[in-house]
Amino acid sequence: MSFLSGLKAAQLKYNIFTSIRENVDAELLQALSGKLKKVTVAIKDNIVTKEDKTTCSSQILADYESPFDATVVRLLKEQGAVVVGKTNLDEFGMGSGTTHSHFGPTLNPLYPDEARISGGSSGGSAAAVSAGLVDVALGTDTGGSIRLPASYTGVVGFKPTYSRISRWGVVPYAQSLDTVGLLSRDVSIIRQVFTELDKYDPNDPTSLAGDIRETIPKRTVTSQRLRIGVCEQFNVKELSQPMRNAWISSLERFSKDGHELVPVSIPSIKHALSAYYVLAPAEAASNLSRYDGVRYGFRNYDKSYGTTRSTGFGSEVQKRIMLGNFNLSSEAYSNHFLKAQRVRRLICDEFNEVFKLSNPLDGKTSFNDLGIDLIVTPTSTSKAPTLEKFRLSQNDNGVTEYVDDVMTVPASLAGLPSIVVPWNTDNGVCGIQLTGQFGDDNLVLDVAETFMAREE
Amino acid sequence: MRFKVKCGLEIHTQLKTRLKLFSNSLNKSQVLSNKPNTNVSFFDAGLPGTQPVLNYEPVLLALKAAKALKSTVSPISTFDRKHYFYGDQPLGYQITQHYQPIAKGGYLILSSRFDQISQNKTIGIEQIQLEQDTGKTLYKDLTGLAHVDLNRANVPLIELVTKPDFSNPEEIIAFLKQYQYIVKFSDISSGDLETGAIRADVNISIEGGERVEIKNLPTTSAIMHATKYEIKRQISQFEKTGKHITETETRGWNGKQTYKLRDKENAVDYRYMPDPELPPLVLDVDEIMPQVEIEKPRDVRLEELMAEPYGLKLRDAITLLYNPEFHSYYMELFQILTTKKIVKRDLISNWICHEQVGALKKLGRPQDEYLPARVMSELIFSVDKGSIGSNNAKLLLMHLLDNPQDQVLPIAKLIKQFDLGKTTDDELDYAKICENVLSQNEAVIKEIRRTNSQGKLNFLVGQCMRISRGKADANDFRKRLLEMITT
Repeated sequence: MSFLSGLKAAQLKYNIFTSIRENVDAELLQALSGKLKKVTVAIKDNIVTKEDKTTCSSQILADYESPFDATVVRLLKEQGAVVVGKTNLDEFGMGSGTTHSHFGPTLNPLYPDEARISGGSSGGSAAAVSAGLVDVALGTDTGGSIRLPASYTGVVGFKPTYSRISRWGVVPYAQSLDTVGLLSRDVSIIRQVFTELDKYDPNDPTSLAGDIRETIPKRTVTSQRLRIGVCEQFNVKELSQPMRNAWISSLERFSKDGHELVPVSIPSIKHALSAYYVLAPAEAASNLSRYDGVRYGFRNYDKSYGTTRSTGFGSEVQKRIMLGNFNLSSEAYSNHFLKAQRVRRLICDEFNEVFKLSNPLDGKTSFNDLGIDLIVTPTSTSKAPTLEKFRLSQNDNGVTEYVDDVMTVPASLAGLPSIVVPWNTDNGVCGIQLTGQFGDDNLVLDVAETFMAREE
Repeated sequence: MRFKVKCGLEIHTQLKTRLKLFSNSLNKSQVLSNKPNTNVSFFDAGLPGTQPVLNYEPVLLALKAAKALKSTVSPISTFDRKHYFYGDQPLGYQITQHYQPIAKGGYLILSSRFDQISQNKTIGIEQIQLEQDTGKTLYKDLTGLAHVDLNRANVPLIELVTKPDFSNPEEIIAFLKQYQYIVKFSDISSGDLETGAIRADVNISIEGGERVEIKNLPTTSAIMHATKYEIKRQISQFEKTGKHITETETRGWNGKQTYKLRDKENAVDYRYMPDPELPPLVLDVDEIMPQVEIEKPRDVRLEELMAEPYGLKLRDAITLLYNPEFHSYYMELFQILTTKKIVKRDLISNWICHEQVGALKKLGRPQDEYLPARVMSELIFSVDKGSIGSNNAKLLLMHLLDNPQDQVLPIAKLIKQFDLGKTTDDELDYAKICENVLSQNEAVIKEIRRTNSQGKLNFLVGQCMRISRGKADANDFRKRLLEMITT
């Protein structure tokens, strides 16, 4: 069976891709060279590529072709990787199920016999890895968009430290949070690809500067007895008992391996979700104002730009634009937006207090021996729901879906590196999330790799 | 009843930079013949996935303006997004500095001596902020289609907001003139209102009333007249109804009247948001500001031009100072002619500021098509040493401006070719001509002796000039005639 026909068969069953490269078999036969020679990659369709459409799974960009490649795409190509296609997502990254897509939902390959959601918004990328179609997939993570689908589909999902991977060519949802990351079955592939993408990019004004990159110590796990943080604020009432059990059993494993469990408290985390749903929609409302049908994209002009936007955007996107614009309006700005920003800073400060390693953005590297190396938490409150149940729950009050982000949003607000690794339990596979200090990506990857190896 | 009038200005100034504010496309805002949509980067067009990267040249120019206006530069300033939909606004928002501008405070002093106002006045500056320009929309034809040109999108601007310290339109014009001097001579902007390099909005209120902003005032005279009109309108409304303007309002100007554009009801909420990807602009102010070079203050420069060695009249000094091109033209001529030992140095400014400007106007030529300095200096030198009379020199100037191919020929040769030279005294018998004219005008002589009439004397001078066919010096005739009549 050709590579292409494998992709197409899976596409038929799970609706993973927004576009597939027809020439993928020829590409793989080419004499490629580089550090990622013939590594097959799927790219989330909110990352621009010259060779495919970049739709963001939105009608408003359904036919959009970018005249340039994102920096990450260029770096992958330069190292000989083979892009196989673009993957489905929640429109512009807004959602937790990959159900809010102009192209329909992506189903979860972990459950081939029932229609379960793959999580979102990088659901297509997670499904491509889970179905065994590609070695690695690029995703973006704003509030959990890589980690939640990784957890739901049983793969490894890595959100690096904010600003380590270039965002030039990544269509923003909320760029103070948007982080490009990787999904794979294997931590070592993630590490290999991450090494090639972890580079300063002058085109991205948020890209972490070279001198700061150099101050970050490259910590490894080998001879260390780690202090593993157990943070009470993640033990929310919405957490299902099977998930809580999985969390406990993962902590027991760390303890058995000789690491020390340390209870920590990060009180402001209880406000993280509210702050996130003020900040992210505000940035989204701003970022999406360029889609007016004047220069490119879908256009449905009837006296004003309004018609293009009210028919071109899906309902979830429209909901968040409304929410964002309300929070930016002159009467709500100080009460909502500014307060949410303060909460965000507080969360960063509290994280800095509990970690062993100082935050490299604060200047000189220092170590607090009473601090922790990593925080270990669940990734989601439950395993992947069925498509039907997920859709029904959206009818309740419109925010049930947002609760799924409660485990992942804190690391997003603080820009921390966070990886989700599959953990087998009696109740099936679920994702355990390891979060490290800003810049401590190497340790996070290292611990994830050891943890997975021990499991087998 | 006397009303206290308060006016403020909001001035947008296009910066003279090589590149745009946040992209690598060229800033060709001053090249008016530039083809539409030829200087547009992916970012300028608002393509998905593009990001802004701040260029530093606009920052330097903003710092120059801040220094000239004694404004306090902020060690940290930030960028914000101002949202509104418009066809020539590709991002759906403008990046500006709403919350933490690059400079705050400052002032400019208007001078009674140099600014044609009754007394010295200090105008306070609120703030200076860096921001992007928008594209341009042109409604060219009757098809109802709008043409959008993004060459101007993302061109760097500074927005300067003054305190409401102006009490009449004359002060506003004086401020603008001095501001133009600053931006032109410190190389911040081309500084012209006509090309849109400077755009000013005026806000006006009378004591007790809300303020009205007038937008889209393209020329100095529009600013003058619209402001006058609006002050009158507000006063007469109060006098008629006893009520002040109660809500802020935005008005336009149609050349005759101001008219309502929008009021508070349909005002746009710009939903200002700190830009989530542009890092704060951090400046080591104490280190940088001493290195920022600006031109001397206008009043100092005026004093210099009026003092030795130039000795210019105030009016000419002002003309030169508000026109950097003329100014350097003058300096070039002054240098050439000083080495040639010119006697009447007033000739230089006179020929630049008046004769040549007038000649170009008469010919319907643009003001910048003036003679090369070398040609002009030869012409002035010929007038100074008396080899051509000033009337004939004016004719020759017109000819040279109209026939650029002759500008390469030596002036002396042209004078000869067109027979414009003053005839020397040996060839021209002044005394004989005078005697001749006097003998034919006995009655006029008597009249002059009786009434000392200058008109009659001029008549006689005219007669002499006609005989000499304009080649003689009229003053010489006048002196001789007067002597002959009175003795």
